[in-house]
Formats: sequence, structure tokens, C-alpha cells
Amino acid sequence: MADLTTKYLGLTLNNPIIVGSSGLTDSVEKIKELEKNGAGAVVLKSLFEEQIMMEAEHKLKMAEKDSFMYAEHSETFDYIDLHVKEKELNKYLDLISKAKKEVMIPVIASVNCVTAHEWTTFARDIEKAGADALELNIFIMPFNMKKNSKEIEKVHYEIVEKVCKEVSIPVSVKLSPYFANLGKVIKTLTKKGAKGVVLFNRFASPDIDIETMKVTTASIFSTPGEMHNSLRWIAILGKRVKCDLAASTGVHDGEAVIKQILAGANAVQVASAIYKHGPEYIIGMKKQLDAWMEKNGILYIDSFKGKLSQEKSENPEVFERIQFMKYFSEIK
Amino acid sequence: MENIKEYLKAERNQEWRAELRKSMKAKERTGRERNDMLERDPNVRNKNIDEVNLGLTEELALADARRCIDCANPTCITGCPVGINIPKFIKKIETGDYLGAAVVLKETNALPAVCGRVCPQEKQCENNCFYTISLKKPAVAIGNLERFAADYERNSGQMAIPEVAAPNGIKVGVIGSGPAGLSAAGDLCKLGYDVTVFEALHEIGGVLKYGIPEFRLPNEIVDVEIEVMRKMGIKFKTNFLVGRTATIDELKEQGYEAFFVGSGAGLPRFMNIPGENYNGILSSNEYLTRVNLMNAANPDFDTPVLKGKNVAVIGGGNTAMDSVRTAKRLGAERSVIVYRRSLVEMPARVEEVKHAQEEGIEFMNLHNPVEYFADENGRVNKMRIQKMELGEPDASGRRRPIVIPNSEFDIEVDTVVVSVGVSPNPLIPASLPNLKMTDWGTIVVDQDTMQSSIPELFAGGDIVRGGATVILAMGDGRKAAAGMHKYIQEKINK
Repeated sequence: MADLTTKYLGLTLNNPIIVGSSGLTDSVEKIKELEKNGAGAVVLKSLFEEQIMMEAEHKLKMAEKDSFMYAEHSETFDYIDLHVKEKELNKYLDLISKAKKEVMIPVIASVNCVTAHEWTTFARDIEKAGADALELNIFIMPFNMKKNSKEIEKVHYEIVEKVCKEVSIPVSVKLSPYFANLGKVIKTLTKKGAKGVVLFNRFASPDIDIETMKVTTASIFSTPGEMHNSLRWIAILGKRVKCDLAASTGVHDGEAVIKQILAGANAVQVASAIYKHGPEYIIGMKKQLDAWMEKNGILYIDSFKGKLSQEKSENPEVFERIQFMKYFSEIK
Repeated sequence: MENIKEYLKAERNQEWRAELRKSMKAKERTGRERNDMLERDPNVRNKNIDEVNLGLTEELALADARRCIDCANPTCITGCPVGINIPKFIKKIETGDYLGAAVVLKETNALPAVCGRVCPQEKQCENNCFYTISLKKPAVAIGNLERFAADYERNSGQMAIPEVAAPNGIKVGVIGSGPAGLSAAGDLCKLGYDVTVFEALHEIGGVLKYGIPEFRLPNEIVDVEIEVMRKMGIKFKTNFLVGRTATIDELKEQGYEAFFVGSGAGLPRFMNIPGENYNGILSSNEYLTRVNLMNAANPDFDTPVLKGKNVAVIGGGNTAMDSVRTAKRLGAERSVIVYRRSLVEMPARVEEVKHAQEEGIEFMNLHNPVEYFADENGRVNKMRIQKMELGEPDASGRRRPIVIPNSEFDIEVDTVVVSVGVSPNPLIPASLPNLKMTDWGTIVVDQDTMQSSIPELFAGGDIVRGGATVILAMGDGRKAAAGMHKYIQEKINK
């Protein structure tokens, strides 16, 4: 049996399969089940600012319906969003500390943020609650036509810099694929203190029903076909950035894990595949990885990590262009 | 409900009221202007703790009482959480029977002098007045008249002691001596119960004493009302923490048949922003309690309060106004309200905002703190503020504050008072595992009887509401007293 241990964010994982931030990781019971089935680590379900706002709205509505709870003169209700947030944050801290007591695998907290203000103190509380690392899911949608790319990038840098000043646990950043120059952004994030990046965040995608002519939501689960973008970027960046890389979106089997590690990933994050097949699916993915390593006489993850990265390509953009021309020129 | 309507109708049909109505045409009454209370000069009052409002003179009170047309359908009463017979007490004033007016008030309100000062009448009785609803004119000055009658009685030295039923020998406990507790205690005592009020602090009055400053509600006013309650036969035990000094079960063993919990919401909430733990940043609860109850403004006392030169108060409610005006009185050169919405959305009473503005309080509306900084001794010296704008309305109908990006700037502060709400005191709920609570840490009660999931335990005020007005708390106390009476009588008659 091969040694599947890998290092990610300075943490030792007994294998590179991390269960990504999702509903799969929102309770201690689920996390225990994931550990039992061989997960290398878990990223807890993120706290979304939007969710907290929705909860505050819900509480206000409930309070209005409840003749006891609503009072126009109440300062408590005037700041209800703030108090709901505090409550949700405390619930989250509780999840971290309970999970840490119950499982041996690393527990990575995840915060979904859009500003540099709101979360920095909370990051400290996350560390105190016992999280092994913190993944920042910086959720700035690139659809604001009034903002240029520099402004958007600046918010990312500010958040990372501020959070890294607050905590001593490793901080990673989960990014969207929409950057003008992703490599440069990741290098700057590393300078600001990020120990790793997760490529990529997957936004809910729209679809159109041509029968009803209505906009619908595409499947919330990823497909294996969606892995290529992260595979490309991990291959490009694998040996060019100082931080660790985790591949996310479209990793659905052991083969995908192997590909991402060959490209240069330290670890992968899975969610959709576990939703579809259950926690025990991780056992199969690990078996596939192990069998492939044995078949190829590979003893350690590190031995093949980044073997197929574009390390030797001095100008990846030229390489990409050549690949493009070669591919399309063959299509008659 | 029908009974109340019948009762009010019968009261209105009494000869003296019918005569009074006839004595002046309704048109003549409605043609009169409302009078304002007299107030102390803003530049004098902001340097001392004397009461700001001076009340109505007898002449003004009579003039305002004459405006009331003694409606056949007195909608004003529906706006009063304790159901004061408003037209009756106002008509008593019109006849010059001021002591009689006070007696009417005390039929349903244990603390009329308090309510006349701190109730948001503009949102309650006066908002339901015929003048407001139908004539679109300023309402009859119900609150000012209530205060006038109560003050007249107190100053006359002829305080009426409400009638109390013959003692039934049944012991009941009231936990907390704030407005909810006092109101429940008053009604239970009137019904003949042996009432003991347990108060955690050394003073009786709860939030009326520690929360509301002298310049708005002098402690003396509260003390006089409490004295009346003592004379009625209510017992008060101070420095008694139910749940610690003695548990509910221990009190039951001592013969208490039922309890009313009105332990309030004394636990401050903060914003959880960076630097909030620095010295010089405190909750409005702590700040006001130190000044109001512990004589902290007096340098000779050993519980001093921080007298800042640059004081910022975060929030827009009545407590925020009380804190910022207190800071001014303690000598602050700059006392500023930092509130994230605009003046229109402020939960504070219009009168409190007006008084604050007159006294030189600065308002930084549409601003919100994001971080505090401190000097080498850990004392706050700077506050980072961001500008806000208003977005779409939230579920309460008020427009939501939204951050204006990159709008931060710093202001110098040496004291910050955070007044963004409170949460219920957890001591009693924590000592009763079977007590059903809401997500908010408030006690779940039946809407009509105020009975909790523990049958002999009733509750009201902030421990049920999470933060409300004095009068709503008093309404709860009255409702709970009726509920307790029914519960005990049914138990006895089983």
C-alpha cells in the first residue's frame, strides 16, 4: 500500500481528498462520518453574509408576527442583523470546537466574505475555537460593470492581509476563475500571507428552459467535465507559486485526484461526488489512487506531485497558444 | 371585551360627565390648540441632572383637558397597554378634581408619574386619539395630563393608597422590581395576595432607576410610587438573586404558590468589531447604571465613571439618547451619536431626539463604527467610521443601512458607549431546565395569561420581549397578575 499522506497549508493530511465546504460538513455527525470513510480533511460549511442577512430578515418577520417580540422603540431590533450575525457566528464557533473534539483529521474553517472589515475579529475567534486553518471564500461576483479589475483584486489583498495579521493558523483563499491575470493575483495573495489557494469556486449557473422560455438554475452539482479549468491552472501555477494548491470543482473520482496531483495540486476538494454517492465513495477514490500508485511503483504523493506541471514552459501563454492552434488547426 | 365596553359606557353616562360634555360645544373644544410642557433652558440643563420637562401648569392642564371631547368610542384606551380609562381621568382634571384624576389612573396603572414621563404616548394612546385619527390635528396631551395629575397628587401630600382586598394568605413571588414586576405586584396585592418582590440590586425600581437618567425620570418620583406600594402591603427584598440567593424550588418550599418573572434584559450586546475590548469602551447599561445608581458622577464615590472629553455613543434608541445626554452633563466637550441609519429611522422618541439636539449633541447619522484604536495604555483614542447609505426597506419597513465603499475615516474619542440592544438575563432560565425559551433567550409564555411552560411561573417585560418600553412591560405585569390569580384560584377550587 502506498503512502497517501500529503502536506497542505502546513498540515499533514493522511490522504489528499478533502471534503469541500458544503452542506456535507455542517454538523459534527456528518464530519465524523466523513472521517470514518477516509476523508483527509474537511472544510466546514461557510458562513455567508447573505445567509445571515436572510436570517435577520426572517427573524424580523417572525418578531413582527409575534406580538411580544416586536417593539418599534427597541434598540435590540434596530440592530437585529448584527445580533443574528453574532448568534450565527457563535453557532459556527461551537461547530468548530465540537468537531475538533470529535475527529482527528484537520478541520478547516471557511468564511465567505466580501469586505475586509467584518470578518477579521471573527477570524481570531475561529482560531481560538481550534480550527486548524481558515479558508477565505472571497465572494465578489465579477458582474459589477462599474468596478475595474484592480479594485476587485485590491479587496482580495486587503482581506487576506488583514486576516493574516489577526491569526497564526494558515489561511487559504478560494478564488473564482474570473481574474484578468490569475497568476499575478495568486502571487500577490501569497505575499500578503496566504498559504494556499483553492481553484476554483463554483458559482450557481443559469440555464434556460426553451419550452417555458424561463431562466432556470443549472445543476447545482459539478460534472467531471468541469475539471479542466482548474487542471490547466494548477498545471501552470504548480511550480510557479510559493503557496499550496487545492483543486476544486469537477473532481469526481480517483483518476481526477491523480490528474490534479500530477498537475501540481497538494490536495483536492470534493463535494458533488459525495453528494451523489455518499461518504463511503471516498473509500473507492482512495483505493483508485492507491492502486494507480502501486501499479506505477510510486511510494509517496510527493514523488509524482507536479510531474506534469508546466514548470519547464517559460512562457505558459505561448504554450497555451500553441496548444490551441495545434488543436484547432487539425479540425477541418 | 364586551364587559369593558359596557363598563366604559356606564362610566361615560354618569351624570357629571354628561353635564361636562354639555358645558362646552365639541367644536369649541376641537378649535383649541394643544399646549406644550414647559422645559428648562437647554444650555443650563445640559450642565446638571435636573429634570428637563417641567410639566404643565394648572392653567395649561385645564386648557388641554378641555380639548378632550369625551368620545363615545374612546379609541385612545385601545392604544394604552394598561388600559387606563383616559377620558375619565382627563374629565376629572377638567372638573378640577386632580386627586380624583390620580385615583382613576391608579385603578389600572401602578406608576402614573413614571408613565407620564417615559411612555411613548405619541405611538400609543395619543396615536389613537380622535384628534390624530379623524381631525389630523395634534392629539390631546394625554401623557402630559397623566403626569400633571400624578405630580399634583404627590405634591399635595395626599397620596391615595389603592384599595386592597382582604388578605387571602397566599404567598406569591415577583422576581425583579422593574416596571413589569411592580405592575404585577400592585395588581396581585389589590387581589389580596401576600406579595414579595425580589430584587437583585440594592435599589428597587429596576430599569426605571438604573436605566433612565435623573433628567428624564428623577429617582424620587419612582421612590414615591414604591412607597405607596409598600403601604399597600407589598414586601421588597433587595440584594436577592433568585436562582442564586435562593432557587425557585427553595422559594416554593417556603410556601410561594406562584411567581412572576420580570427580571428584564440587562445583558448588554456589543457589535463585535475590532478593538471593542479597549478601556474606555463600555455598554450603555454599565455607563448608565454607574451614573444613575452608583453615584459614579460624584468623584467622592469609589465607583467612578469615565468622564470623557470626546464621547461617542453608538445607536439611535432611547438608551443611546440617555447615554449621550448624560455624557454631555458629565462635562464632555463633544458628545456625538453615531447611528447607521438616518434620523427618520431612529427608534428613539422624537422628544428625546429633539431634547438632545437642543442640548448640543452632535448627530453623525448614516455612520457606523468599524474599528477602535487605543493608546499605549490600552485606552481607546480613535474610532474608524464608515459612511452608510440607505437601501431597500427590510422586514420592519425601514430602509436598510448599506456601507459606502472606501468611505472610512477616523475620529478622536476617549470614551465610547455602545447602545445597540440587550439580551435577557439568563440566570432564572438557566436554573430551570424545563422552562421553554425562544431562540432569543426569552421566556415563552401564553399571550393571554403570560403563563410559561412551568405552570406556576408567569413572566413579562423584557424577559419575554427581549427589549420593550416601560408601558408594555407594565401591561404584561397586569396581564400576568390576572393570569396568576386565575391559575391559583382554579388550583384552590379543584
